[in-house]
Amino acid sequence: MANETKLYKVVRYVFLIAASIFVIVPLIPLIFMAFKTGAEYSTTSVLEAPKNWLNTYNFSYAIRVGKLGKAFLYTAIILTVSLALQVTMTAMVSYVLHRFDFMGKKIVMTMFTLTMFIPVVATQNLIFRMMYSVGLVNTMWSVIILYSGVGIVGIYVMLNQLDNISREIDEAAQIDGAGYFYTFLHIIFPLMKPACTTMIIINGIGLYNDFYIPNLYLNREVQTFTVALYKFYGSMSTPFEIVAAAIIIGMIPIMIVFIFLQKYIYNGLAGSVKM
Amino acid sequence: MKIKRLLAMALSLTMAVGVMASCGDNGGAGKDNGDGKTDFKSADEIDKDSLKGKTITLYTHGGNRVLGEEKKDEDGNTYRDESYAYLKHLAEKFEKEYDIHVELKVNSTEDDIRPLLQTQDPEIDIYTSPNWSIEEWQQYAEPYCTLDEARELYGDYADTMFNDGQYIYALMPAKTYNNAVVYNEETIKSVGYDSIPTTQAEFEEMCTKLREAGIDPIAMHRIENWPLSTMNDFANYVAGSNDAYPSMLKSDTPFSESEPMGKTIKMYTEWKSKGFFEADIYTDFGVAMDSVGNGKAAMMLFGAWVVPQIQGRVPEGGDPASIKFAPAPDFGKGQYVMASAADSYANAKGSDEKEAARLFIEYISEDAQYLADSGYIAMKKGVEPIVPDLYKIIDDAVEAGTCNVLYSYATDENSIHNEEVLSEAALLEDNKYAGNLFDTIDVTKEPDWSAYDAQVEKQNKAYTEARDFLGYSWQ
Repeated sequence: MANETKLYKVVRYVFLIAASIFVIVPLIPLIFMAFKTGAEYSTTSVLEAPKNWLNTYNFSYAIRVGKLGKAFLYTAIILTVSLALQVTMTAMVSYVLHRFDFMGKKIVMTMFTLTMFIPVVATQNLIFRMMYSVGLVNTMWSVIILYSGVGIVGIYVMLNQLDNISREIDEAAQIDGAGYFYTFLHIIFPLMKPACTTMIIINGIGLYNDFYIPNLYLNREVQTFTVALYKFYGSMSTPFEIVAAAIIIGMIPIMIVFIFLQKYIYNGLAGSVKM
Repeated sequence: MKIKRLLAMALSLTMAVGVMASCGDNGGAGKDNGDGKTDFKSADEIDKDSLKGKTITLYTHGGNRVLGEEKKDEDGNTYRDESYAYLKHLAEKFEKEYDIHVELKVNSTEDDIRPLLQTQDPEIDIYTSPNWSIEEWQQYAEPYCTLDEARELYGDYADTMFNDGQYIYALMPAKTYNNAVVYNEETIKSVGYDSIPTTQAEFEEMCTKLREAGIDPIAMHRIENWPLSTMNDFANYVAGSNDAYPSMLKSDTPFSESEPMGKTIKMYTEWKSKGFFEADIYTDFGVAMDSVGNGKAAMMLFGAWVVPQIQGRVPEGGDPASIKFAPAPDFGKGQYVMASAADSYANAKGSDEKEAARLFIEYISEDAQYLADSGYIAMKKGVEPIVPDLYKIIDDAVEAGTCNVLYSYATDENSIHNEEVLSEAALLEDNKYAGNLFDTIDVTKEPDWSAYDAQVEKQNKAYTEARDFLGYSWQ
């Protein structure tokens, strides 16, 4: 038994070290590249360290020419509004689906589930035309509306949370004279905080990294970070040392979020896995 | 059961809406006035006063002409030299003259502008050079003029512009010499050559000397697929005619060494086996151009358009003028160079400012200096051309009669059918017809041609089967 445990430990460590290498190794050339000059990048190996670790030219160039500051601002606005709308609406839909029986409830659930099987790309021809016809293309609202939709994964996370909130709490509130909306807003919604945090984290990271939707809908002045990054790519050539610096700048907000919210991230992911 | 019915209805409704949406009025090429002419107006005929204060938007994939050439400063850092932002300067000059503002936008690929064109967004007025099928041109571009009208102003080069046999969809106001040899003179001098040899044997001897000296003879940038298409021009040089590519239709064995296309691909692959192409992988085309600029490689087999870009990449202390452009060597039929119309500007179908857009395109066509700065030669009737220095070697050779000009083959039934056959044989996408053969040889191992020969057989069979299936033959 003791041997088995030891073997298990060894396998576990080997697996974890290998997994860490897979994640860390691609980052090393990226960091090297970000501090190299353009001439150095094109004449040295990607695994060769930069000659001058204090060369911050690529970072300042990326911020200045790529207008990354503006892009971060737009990204922050889009994410804040979208996630607030998405979480609120998902919580409301889940509350109704969990607590009430009504005609067509199964159809509603089936329709939400069906959306999982339709790739986003497949619907965009039609949706783009609709957005265009109401003048929302090239405004933040097009992306905010598309990001604010209620998804089935969010619903399941919320339903899982609602299973753990006793119906007696609702009944007690209603005996005290609270209406459905008051009960949801002041009693149930605050108790759904862990599920909301999980959703914000999982979807927030996904939306922050999304390229397809913002690139399609925000082609001009309003740009998210990923679209601003893409502008460095030329039709023939790309200054990769500057792109590397821009990518590192883009990783900073995510790292800050991770450092401050890691407790919620672990708990949230564990919670959603339990589901 | 009810749920199934409901779902079926919802699905049908969605499909119906989708179909109706895709049947929107995209318009067709319908500008003919009944007499075979379009409502094409020359710059003189356009009422310029009525256009004052307007703004037009131009999308271009040529970021260097808007943002400036990418260069390295004395520390080796990348920056944009705005003195090379020729289109930006031209737009400013145009605004001063006509009081029409030209908003310049840079797109990386044609896919970036496709959604705007699909919705006929009026804010996109002019765009440059997407690599589209003729159906897409008809859908997204306003016919600029008829082919006959273009022939009057641009001569034989009109046939090499994007056209469907009736209309020109993008005006190409300049001419250029296509794929030939771009080289670093200083690098070839280091192995004892002053110029690119004129015979294949001497050319290969020079490549061997370069390889022995530790220099990559030719930078190809094989990691991407598009550079393989440059072989088509070299197949013309091998054939001594401009129709090597569509002529594949004539043969049952187009990929065998007996045919120009097959011979050319084999020649490239032999060069690969001898180590004439880069041993390292270039992560980006910019790095491939850098390698010629800094002397790590000696040549590229590309068009004149890369010359100014490589010149901008010559390191501090080097002479950009050492980057030159010469005809390909004689592969058995003489020395040739392909020529075609260049630098395309299309007027978007949904544009609200078609007259202002047309005025700007006409303005471009008459600015020989702008076209020369961009690496092209103006060719509109009545415009005095300025020949950029980079064409000097080829011009001299053409003038002396040692190099013959081949005009790019016009898009006709044969070329369209050939593409359809290649597509049916699954050989067109990513230039697989060349890449599949080229990749059978590993540069690091002793060449074993059995895999290459087997691939030739396979491709010949696939091609002839597809051709017979489609029922095409040379017309």
